[in-house]
Amino acid sequence: MRIKREFEVFGKNKNLSYLDSGASCLKPKSVVKKLLEYYREYPVNIHRGVYEMSSKASEEYEKSREMVAEFIGAKEKEEIVFTAGTTEGINMVARGMEKRFKKGDEVLVTELEHHSNLVPWQELVRRKGGKIKYIKIDKKFKLNISDLDKLVSKKTKFLALTQVSNVVGSVNDIEKIVSIVKKINPEILVVVDGAQAVGHMGVDVQKLGVDFYAFSGHKMYGPVGVGVLYGKKKLLEEMEPSTFGGGMISEVGREVSAWARVPEKFEAGSRAIAEVVAMQEAVAFLKKKGFCWEIERELIKRLSVRLGEIEEVRVFSALESGILSFTVLGVHSHDVAEILSRRGVAVRSGHHCAQVLHKVMGVESSVRVSLGIYNEEKDVDKVVEGVKEALKIFKK
Amino acid sequence: MDDLYREIILDRYENPQNRGVIKGGREAKEANLMCGDKLKITVKIEKGVIKDAKFEGGGCAISMAGVDLLLDKIKGMKLAEVKKMSGSEIEKMMGVELTAARKRCAYLGLEVLKKL
Repeated sequence: MRIKREFEVFGKNKNLSYLDSGASCLKPKSVVKKLLEYYREYPVNIHRGVYEMSSKASEEYEKSREMVAEFIGAKEKEEIVFTAGTTEGINMVARGMEKRFKKGDEVLVTELEHHSNLVPWQELVRRKGGKIKYIKIDKKFKLNISDLDKLVSKKTKFLALTQVSNVVGSVNDIEKIVSIVKKINPEILVVVDGAQAVGHMGVDVQKLGVDFYAFSGHKMYGPVGVGVLYGKKKLLEEMEPSTFGGGMISEVGREVSAWARVPEKFEAGSRAIAEVVAMQEAVAFLKKKGFCWEIERELIKRLSVRLGEIEEVRVFSALESGILSFTVLGVHSHDVAEILSRRGVAVRSGHHCAQVLHKVMGVESSVRVSLGIYNEEKDVDKVVEGVKEALKIFKK
Repeated sequence: MDDLYREIILDRYENPQNRGVIKGGREAKEANLMCGDKLKITVKIEKGVIKDAKFEGGGCAISMAGVDLLLDKIKGMKLAEVKKMSGSEIEKMMGVELTAARKRCAYLGLEVLKKL
């Protein structure tokens, strides 16, 4: 497969079937090269350096912001805040917009959420006194959108939901959901976890109509340690910073200080400069290669059919993206993953940071297959062979 | 013969010898952070010596066989001695060498005992 040549890791691991892109995508050579370019050519701090090298670093840093803004359809580059990842971005919103949440108010989430888009809201509700409500899923792992009428009221201050489930791969119709909830309560703020979406399908935040959209670099073939929080400019201006210190102020007095403009007020301290700079290449890579969600979805359907032929296997997937989870009766998910690992198949086992969803699924843990641009039929077929082997070992 | 899923491990996984609860015993529990599996151990201690020990909970073959074998071993030992045990002794007992990820599964029982 040609594309594999762009990932150095396949050079030494020819037999690798990497099916854990939901946890972290592999990184193309161009991204790694750009990371190193920073360390080799302009390894200095950004913004307040007048000398040439610092200004080069600043330029590259800001170029990433422009490229990301264009990539996700933001109106202007100031709407892009660089974070450490999706989790940090969502926490920043839950903290920074808490003024809008009064005692007795509600946050609406879904049963599909990753803990990163659930726990920050539980904490908000605990701090302020309020309630968490859930949009339930049906048997096909799709949100019961028809319940929105009952769930949303003037008390609902936030709707926090994922675009693509990291366990069962459901693709939520964000645009439709936003239009329904905003009709009931125009003040509601919609915060979307885009971690499993941006690297796989085209995202246009304006078309989706979201207020905030958070994602991670390493889940879109970029570096680890950098993420993005998109927010509508007016909302970012309203939002309070939650980390204070250097770089985020306009003026510091003995007692009080004033904040810098958006987005600087959210980027306190020295940042992960190399990682931010290398985000340019992640964006460029995706633009050049195109999105592969349809191919991934077809591979997942193939896997689902084949796994479905095995009596002991239960499949959990909406079959809408490159993500599927399953359990094998009599063999724990860790043991399945271990046996797959010997065949060079990398999958994840556990609850995938979605314990609420696993309760709904009725299992403690599962094995997850999540695809990327480098996957092909033989990768998913190896899963099926591995599961059969696991059953052989355990059913002796 | 499978190196990791040896007879002793699969046998203990399917037919554990120390499953259950000791009523009135001292108890401790812990979850495996990787998968959320929970493990509870109860022990009966007389004059500082562990007379009986049982476990409850779910998990993979490695964690379940690991704790089952461990409880065999600690009967008759002093609790203070048990707390000094190292993870590598569990691997020795199981007769396997584990990867870092699976060590967490295998050592779970010992971690619980150290909380007693």
